[in-house]
Amino acid sequence: MLKTRIIPCLDVIENKVVKGVNFKNIRVMGSAVDMANYYSSAGADELCMLDINASYQKRKTFIKTVESIAKVINIPFTVGGGVSALQDITDLLNAGADKVSINSAAVKNPSLIRKAALKHGSQCIVVAIDGKRHGRQMRVFVKGGRELTKKELVSWSKKVQSLGAGEILLTSMDTDGVQNGFDSEMLKKVTKNVNIPVIASGGVGELNHFYLGHLTKATGLLAASVFHSGKFKITKVKKYLSSKGVPVRL
Amino acid sequence: MKKKILGLIDGQSGNIGSIKKAVKDLIREKPYQLKVIKGNFNPNRFDKIILPGQGAFATLMFNLKKLKILNPLKQYLQNNKPYLGICVGMQILSDEGHEDQIVKGLSVIPGKIKKFSNKKLIIPHMGWNTVLISKKDPIIKNDLNEKDFYFVHSYIYENIKKENILGLTHYGKNFPSIVNKGNIYGVQFHPEKSHKNGLKLIKNFIMKS
Repeated sequence: MLKTRIIPCLDVIENKVVKGVNFKNIRVMGSAVDMANYYSSAGADELCMLDINASYQKRKTFIKTVESIAKVINIPFTVGGGVSALQDITDLLNAGADKVSINSAAVKNPSLIRKAALKHGSQCIVVAIDGKRHGRQMRVFVKGGRELTKKELVSWSKKVQSLGAGEILLTSMDTDGVQNGFDSEMLKKVTKNVNIPVIASGGVGELNHFYLGHLTKATGLLAASVFHSGKFKITKVKKYLSSKGVPVRL
Repeated sequence: MKKKILGLIDGQSGNIGSIKKAVKDLIREKPYQLKVIKGNFNPNRFDKIILPGQGAFATLMFNLKKLKILNPLKQYLQNNKPYLGICVGMQILSDEGHEDQIVKGLSVIPGKIKKFSNKKLIIPHMGWNTVLISKKDPIIKNDLNEKDFYFVHSYIYENIKKENILGLTHYGKNFPSIVNKGNIYGVQFHPEKSHKNGLKLIKNFIMKS
């Protein structure tokens, strides 16, 4: 039986894992390589790493970080942040990423998804979507959530699937950072309308939030702070889910 | 003692970094040396070959031909020499792939590669899933039975003979996740991404006499 994936996410600047909202109050949590290595051996099913300050000068160090991590872990590794062109995707895959996540660039230039899927295969193209309620609609935001777009969430999700995305990483900006649980309503809207895997992101604070996330039909559950802070160990989350009858890799 | 040679084929189908790393770690202090195959090669010089693959069946077949790897690989397989195909590297052992167009495979293990036909399934089949060992074999000793491995694929081996199936996995239905004929093996999952169990399987393949 296919297992629900538990995915720790590292927000990274150069080679350091950081915590901070919209580049404010940034706190260094540790070395990206050390934390990646720890999560790989602690039972993570996949690892996600995002370059949250993808400036040109700092990109080289970030790519080196990807290389160093790929050398020490042996679980799937998704990398994103600042991907704007086909070459960026190729560079990250060559550095050892298994999947590359595209966000703002996909909205600006949807054909990038198709080109990337044709060149590297759908299985390694993840489209990250930041969703937020806007009036009666759920809309797609870009640039780290700072810019509203005209795209409606569900139609954009279907669109990325038709363009060849292999997976959707859906972050609800309404629940992100609040630790009150995943955005079940938003997640269900998307999982009902696509048949590629959806990773839920944004809002985990308690154990039962993982269970509620699983109920949305998301097949991957992503979290950052609850793992980095040491509040929950990955095995604890998995044992909890298993006790609720959710298939996990123990 | 002369070291045996393990070939890792770079078919330009996904990156071979993680499998290379896994193999390098495993053959340290063992009687093997690793050679990456990027073009024409002498099949007699190699004792074992691993072919990892991602993406499309047609692309991999096309690349192998273009890179002049196809003919020596066919010869190598005809001699029943040890081979481990991963993901698409397994699928090309079949007679044909049905992905957009029908493309001929290597016809080593009879069967056809077809898309999961259940419309209700989330495709690709992505994540960790259990492999049930259906036949004993040195590359999957007992401790690998009912363990989880990492899968990411949309196509499966169909019309395959029971005798060629070593492992089964359930997704919508049971499908072959490990196939075998003589010294030739194929795995649908990615052992190089499957943590300890995956590394064990690769090790078993390398150590198998």
